Amino acid sequence: MNRRIILYSLPALALLFTLLVVPLLGTFYTSFLRDVSYLDKGGLTLSNYTNIFQDPTFWQSLAFTIKFAGISVPLELLTGLIIALLIDQKMIGGGLLRAIVLIPWAIPSVVSARIWELIFNYSYGMINLITSNILGVRVNWFGEAWSALLALVVADLWRTTPFVALVLLAGLQSIPPELYKQARVDGAGRIRTFFGVTLPLLVPFLIISAIFRTADALRVFDIVFVITEGGPANQTMPLSLYAYRFYAGGDFGKGSAVSVVLFLASLLTALVMLGYYRRKRVVY
Amino acid sequence: MFIKVTAVGVIALLMLPVLWTLLISLASDPDALLEGELDLTLQNYVDLFKSESLNFPRHLLNSLIVSSLSAFLSTLLSTLTAYSIGRSGFRWSGVILTLFLGISLIPQISIAGYLFKIFSSLGLINTYGSLVLSHATLSLPLGIWIMHTYLSTIPREIEKSAYIDGAGSLRILFQIILPLSLPGIVTTFITLFLFSFNEFLFALMFTIDHTARTVTVGIALFEGLHGQIPWGYITSASLVSVLPAVIVVLIMQRHLVRGLTAGAVKG
Repeated sequence: MNRRIILYSLPALALLFTLLVVPLLGTFYTSFLRDVSYLDKGGLTLSNYTNIFQDPTFWQSLAFTIKFAGISVPLELLTGLIIALLIDQKMIGGGLLRAIVLIPWAIPSVVSARIWELIFNYSYGMINLITSNILGVRVNWFGEAWSALLALVVADLWRTTPFVALVLLAGLQSIPPELYKQARVDGAGRIRTFFGVTLPLLVPFLIISAIFRTADALRVFDIVFVITEGGPANQTMPLSLYAYRFYAGGDFGKGSAVSVVLFLASLLTALVMLGYYRRKRVVY
Repeated sequence: MFIKVTAVGVIALLMLPVLWTLLISLASDPDALLEGELDLTLQNYVDLFKSESLNFPRHLLNSLIVSSLSAFLSTLLSTLTAYSIGRSGFRWSGVILTLFLGISLIPQISIAGYLFKIFSSLGLINTYGSLVLSHATLSLPLGIWIMHTYLSTIPREIEKSAYIDGAGSLRILFQIILPLSLPGIVTTFITLFLFSFNEFLFALMFTIDHTARTVTVGIALFEGLHGQIPWGYITSASLVSVLPAVIVVLIMQRHLVRGLTAGAVKG
């Protein structure tokens, strides 16, 4: 057909080039400059990197970012799988569940962060209402690193599990019914069928969800900005927020250096997972 | 039985936080509420729209304008791009689509700082322009994927006959393809609208005050205005701002699920 049709991509490509590729390259370039508001710019330098690598907060936020992704992504896959299996049961009310699952997805991350900040709030939170009535204690959830992390993971879980559930549901529905029939003929029970048929065929969908969710978890910003602001004592500071603080303070050089580290970490993670996906993809 | 109990439990866990938020937003005095006194009022909602210092109506209007414009721009460009990739017979189209998917995984912060510089030099900071352009760019990969899945379901024979009849490719796109893929376009528009409406980091960095500040930034920065956290305003503003989205999502749920999982499932 018409070869000139490829020209219709040009407006989108132009926009992506100007406002995505150029800024990305610009960030790499700026990370090698002394670029602080109201100060003279020097020549190329490595000082932004040497400075942040000497800052304990950098290592703290790198560790937190990895910890947050490492805890929240597996939990999201597990809860997403449970919800997908529930919706796939085709029971009465399954449609209701499918509709309700979408609500956390449609809510802005800032709003869901505010909702969970309230739920974990010392005075007006639902959780402290329960603990104070049953155990007689109130917990300052945002006062300790572990409980602040817990609140963040729960908030993230609530908002993003629907996406995982819907991807896995699509995976479940792509499994040919004949395979289940065959498993029944062979005398496999529900549990054997799940581990022998369902789960192996779901692996590509699990990996794809994991790729998307890990990328999202590594760049987490909104919920931390709202709920803990990185505290207590920078112990829940993700790299995005650490970089943002530099930008907000006018230090574009250091902000860019942190951004480059995060970009490279995300890229590497995605490539490793994509490689794993290519090997695990099954054709049936 | 076990399955039903689990399902009810999941629904409760998903909905309870929202219901608690609703209760706090309606309580005339949250402290009294926790003591067991149920005294409900709409005062927070009235204040929200009357108080001039909160600027809530302005934030909401800004969000609606930015989201509509960026979703319109992004849907238009996504449709053109998805059409051209799908129909050009270009050998690398699969690679290009995967590349688009990769772009959507980039951490926003890694372009935010330099984008700020670009928009500063164009005088677009604290205007709708910076938000419309940056949101449209960021949502393009998602839009292209959703449109691609829809367009690939339209049989090529339809176009071929029109092509033989002498119609140009742009005419084929607008007179034949677009009417057929209207559900796909509506789904794309709604998904990209929600994307922009929900976006936070760019809206935070590229706005200074209420002239362009969106509702997500307004809700996140509420506490700066008063000494203590104004939960009544935060909860009511949160619920007002998500109400339209939730209604649209519930009406469109089947289409949206298909669009939402398009990239993940076909990739």
